[in-house]
Amino acid sequence: MTSRALRISPAGIRGIVGPGLTSATALEFSAAFAAFLAPRGPVVLGRDPRASSIMFREAVLAALLASGRDVIDLGLTSTPVVQHAIRRIGAAGGVSIGASHNNSDWNALKFFGPHGRYLSSTEAGELLDFYHLRRTSYVAWDALGRLIEDSSALDAYLDDLAEAYDFDSLKSFKVVVDCCSGTSAVVLRRLNERHGFQFILINARVEGVSFAHEPATTARMVGLQLAPLMQPLGADAGFLFDVDSDRVALADDRGRALSEEIVLPLVADLLLPRGPGRMVITNLSTTALVNEIAARHGGRVLRVPVGRAAAMDALATHRPEQVAVAGEGTGAVMMPRFRFVYDGIASMMAVLTLMRERGQSLSSIVDGYPSYTLLKGEVPLSSPRVPKLLADLRERYTSGDDPGKANVVDGVRVEWPDRWFHVRVSQTEPIVRVICEQRGASPRALFDELLEEVRRRA
Amino acid sequence: MPEEPHREHLLKIGVSGVRGVVGEFFTPSIACAFAQAFGTYVGGGRVVVGRDTRTSGPMLTHAVTSGLLAAGCEVVHLGIIPTPSLQAYVAATRARGGLAITASHNPSEYNAVKLFNAEGLFFNGYERSELLDLYHQRSFTEASNAEIRGVSSETADATRYHLDRVLTHIDVARVRARNFTVALDGVNGAGSVVTPGFLQNDLGCTLHAMSVDPTEVFPRVPEPRPDTLGELSSLVQAVGAEIGFAQDPDGDRLAVVDEAGRVLDNDDVLALAVDVALRRVKGDVVVNLTTSSVIDDVARTHGRRVYRTAVGEANVVEMMQAVDAAIGGEGSNGGIIFPAVHLCRDSYTGMAMLLDRMAETGKTISELQRALPQYSRKLGMMPFEHGRLGVMMQALEEAFPGVAADRTDGLKITIPGAWIHVRASNTEPILRLAVETRTAKDTDQLYDRVAQLFA
Repeated sequence: MTSRALRISPAGIRGIVGPGLTSATALEFSAAFAAFLAPRGPVVLGRDPRASSIMFREAVLAALLASGRDVIDLGLTSTPVVQHAIRRIGAAGGVSIGASHNNSDWNALKFFGPHGRYLSSTEAGELLDFYHLRRTSYVAWDALGRLIEDSSALDAYLDDLAEAYDFDSLKSFKVVVDCCSGTSAVVLRRLNERHGFQFILINARVEGVSFAHEPATTARMVGLQLAPLMQPLGADAGFLFDVDSDRVALADDRGRALSEEIVLPLVADLLLPRGPGRMVITNLSTTALVNEIAARHGGRVLRVPVGRAAAMDALATHRPEQVAVAGEGTGAVMMPRFRFVYDGIASMMAVLTLMRERGQSLSSIVDGYPSYTLLKGEVPLSSPRVPKLLADLRERYTSGDDPGKANVVDGVRVEWPDRWFHVRVSQTEPIVRVICEQRGASPRALFDELLEEVRRRA
Repeated sequence: MPEEPHREHLLKIGVSGVRGVVGEFFTPSIACAFAQAFGTYVGGGRVVVGRDTRTSGPMLTHAVTSGLLAAGCEVVHLGIIPTPSLQAYVAATRARGGLAITASHNPSEYNAVKLFNAEGLFFNGYERSELLDLYHQRSFTEASNAEIRGVSSETADATRYHLDRVLTHIDVARVRARNFTVALDGVNGAGSVVTPGFLQNDLGCTLHAMSVDPTEVFPRVPEPRPDTLGELSSLVQAVGAEIGFAQDPDGDRLAVVDEAGRVLDNDDVLALAVDVALRRVKGDVVVNLTTSSVIDDVARTHGRRVYRTAVGEANVVEMMQAVDAAIGGEGSNGGIIFPAVHLCRDSYTGMAMLLDRMAETGKTISELQRALPQYSRKLGMMPFEHGRLGVMMQALEEAFPGVAADRTDGLKITIPGAWIHVRASNTEPILRLAVETRTAKDTDQLYDRVAQLFA
């Protein structure tokens, strides 16, 4: 199992704490990060509530201080707040400790560059080289870094959020939030106290070991506790956050658990008409609904491989004002106003603003969209056999009576006018993901056929 | 300018723990791994962490904390605290063990991690080898998220338990009644936060303190030796102090300056402490082979015997446990170990004992010292090649035929009224030579004779 318990890649380090991810690994990777960063400047640090995050904080601190970096420690906070603080302070970079949507036995370290930017794939690759070379920048006893606690970061972040959204116009909505024991509880409680929101929070006790439920931003999780509360409470919208608050999923006023795919189309629907950006950047696995929304507003969709690095690389090749929004079907959405940081809280504000601007309920906005059904499945893989499998799938579905159009930049994606599928290997787990979507009907037959084929061959 | 340390000095990982120059040599990774080996060895549970005032202390505290948490330990931070206080705290709170982040008397660029068991004592030699094997094998406990315990900080005064134990062994009222004028050089070490209160509030002294700012760097060579305590001597004379105390950065070692500003020989300080201890407690005395014969004379007046061990605090402590000693120590290192308080080097016990003896007798510290049998010692070192030690020791033994020879740690030859001790340093390719006779002249002569033998 050990081979599945740790992954060190350009996306950072992630693993099951103990058998996979250890404090030694976190320390050494952080030391490599300190050596990789620009020669000067402090580093911002935040963590999620996992018990292991307290341990990794100690390891990261040791590495950064030993490398002569002053560390601005935000303590328990969300990843978007860490990224915001990096930019505000002008820090050299930052580290956020937390495994986001993974269960509590997992953890991860996310590394950010100046301005709170995600590392580009080139930078991430270089960081990985530093780690493998065991390159460090340890300094002598009289040049060690200092630890500086900063309790103002959250308020500064909220001030910025208040400038982007008209808070007063949103306060009359009745909103229920499932915090899933995570950092969104800290942010939203502060919004209630300081800005007079009246968010109704459930699972808001921050927890280190036993999360209220699996912290995935999926319709299944929304359906568990949040959606059934909507109608009894007479709520206008419900939001579910992952542990570090970069992703969000929705329940509507009719108590329906919406697909996590809907977040990006909703935010695109708000931002595309505002301009100036006309482009939506998303990955090959995300709903085709976003193409229809973009078309409505005269925008277009750029599809890139799955993963944050690919999205960042695509962003880097465009001017910020060309892009309206970027995101994934996982409920992770980033906006130009927030320097392209995946931010669940900002996405929530965007959805509420859309409801306010349209003067429509969330359910009627969603019902106004064409209906798409998206099915996701996964199959354990035997990696040596994957390339042949993918080549065969491409061949099979792009020939014959009804040939689709293939895209092979990340696995194989084949699309037809009313449906598409995407078969690819996960970057984080040893599985093959199978995704199918169809407009106006269920792609069940195609999905089952693909799943069967992949199961047989992978 | 101090010369560049030898490479072998830059990092040492051994049965005593880990010690080295912080940065590219003593890295946070090593500290983390060592703490994890320790946490694995003690099997989880509550582990106490404290440090001296070195700039690298906070960084290494983070590193060892992450290692301890990974091993499933619950970590209690004591912050800046003298090592003897930490050891006593471990024992008093029934923790599973303790880590002191301090390089003791070494210069600022060094740091070290000292390891203590559930009684707040050094592990014995066998245990220390097992622990070192764990470190090298990297066979650590790796706690899962659900198995990771938390970190807390002791908010109460963690030194109080230790200091109260010290005070139970002296007549506090008679010390306070004297209102001694005392000078202190705290070397800006861990004692800086504790010692002034101890001397003023507990012992009723009028205090003139220097270098008691824990946020500042060490203002002198941290080892309290005659050649490093010039400023304390001046302070004693300037304020008319009856005694001056100097500590090392973690408060285990003590040096003493008399009312004339003269730095006392550490062997004499130990002898005075032995005298005080044997008046109160039954038991024998343990010192290392290089400690003065004055200890034997003092022990004899109390009808007690002296056990000799190899050089090193751990060796002395191990023997003290084995023979249930009343007191022990290492003369030249300024270490007084009084198990009735705690089985560790403890400058606070030393300070309290000397003040109590002065109060009891009405004598000055120099009068007390001069009442001891007088010896003259010369300590030196010479380079030598590995592999030559046996030949040199043979030559020495042949030069002094028919006398008592002890080969516990190098070679110690005892002749009537004198002794010679040669041993190889554990850390450098040098030979340490110590010679003691009754007079300075005899000592010089004997030292030169031995040195020629080795030339």
